[in-house]
Amino acid sequence: MRRLDRRRFLRTALGAVVAYAASCLAAPLARAQRFFRAPPWKIRTPYWGFAVDITKCIGCGKCVDACKTENDVPREPFYFRTWVERYAIRKSGEVTVDSPNGGLDGFEPMRDEDSIVKAFFVPKLCNLCENSPCIQVCPVGATFKTEDGVVLIDRKYCIGCRYCIQACPYGTRYYHPTLKVADKCSLCYHRIKRGLNPACVEVCPTDARIFGDLSDPRSPLSRFIAENPVQVLKPAMGTQPKLAYKGLDREVR
Amino acid sequence: MKDLDHLLRVAATFVVVTVGFLVVRGFLIPPTFGKLGHYRAAAVDDVKAMPVRYAGRAARDACARCHAGPVRDRASSSHRGVWCETCHGAAGAHAADPKSVKPGRPAKGEMRAFCGRCHASNITRPRGFPQVNLSVHNPGAACTECHDSHKPKL
Repeated sequence: MRRLDRRRFLRTALGAVVAYAASCLAAPLARAQRFFRAPPWKIRTPYWGFAVDITKCIGCGKCVDACKTENDVPREPFYFRTWVERYAIRKSGEVTVDSPNGGLDGFEPMRDEDSIVKAFFVPKLCNLCENSPCIQVCPVGATFKTEDGVVLIDRKYCIGCRYCIQACPYGTRYYHPTLKVADKCSLCYHRIKRGLNPACVEVCPTDARIFGDLSDPRSPLSRFIAENPVQVLKPAMGTQPKLAYKGLDREVR
Repeated sequence: MKDLDHLLRVAATFVVVTVGFLVVRGFLIPPTFGKLGHYRAAAVDDVKAMPVRYAGRAARDACARCHAGPVRDRASSSHRGVWCETCHGAAGAHAADPKSVKPGRPAKGEMRAFCGRCHASNITRPRGFPQVNLSVHNPGAACTECHDSHKPKL
């Protein structure tokens, strides 16, 4: 065996160090490459969304009832995770909106039907904002967006300050009178995690409510949004709702 | 020597305050806070653990096992899109324990109001949706005297 001189030893050692460093760097480099090609916020699956077809809603209020039953929402008026509004546009241009008991008991026909140009029902629920004001204002981090895109409330951590109720541009939050926390539509998170539809979607007799996965282009929701002209509420607020409406009139707020 | 004493006192105070802050912070912040974002990650599991009341359309086969007739009738009728629990109410408990928990059905006297929730004529409903004027359409008669609620077309 040949004796190593200093020059040969140093060269071999340097080569070994370089080879080792390269092998150490390979994995993180590949990871970084993957990260920049497909960032996690683009490949997140599933990513839940919702759509409402106003042209199909008959105002029966079954969704309101199902929501209250499924989520233990107080039966009294003013406490709603979802509710139905009736818009009527008159010949005079006047717009009237009513929602007797949130539509829970259905809607009686209006008395002055002759003066109405058009009328329609608008079911309302959490707009599932990508950029939600309620999360931004919560002082304790008790409301948050889950990794699959649903805005939830941590009932153990909520201090009941009601700031989020003020912040929601869609009025979808209420103060729970017995739990003393803010409450809102959770997209029936306990159901969708078990592979079921939200309760309102299950009971809707006319399929006016569509729930599904936005990250899957073949899901019923993605197809509905792709095949129909849809609009969101208050787009100028910059909240980027994941709740899409078909047949949304400009009078709807 | 006197100066060193001052410096040590300041350093000791600084250490005590920092350690105290970290200890208090450790007690106040819940264990899973910040794991997924600026929230308690365990809260997601709390919400997930809520009870399910509606069996849902996934239970279609479970319904058909006992109620084959109505399920079959409905599948080919204009009520095919209407799920059982839309009219009969939440039936998750019934599906889990069919013997002791029975879901409701509308009483004969309330039938007109019950069906009218969807079918009473109302200008706000979409055009083309089947509606009747309850005050002139066989007043007083229960809807089911003529219509089968699972197969409503005569």
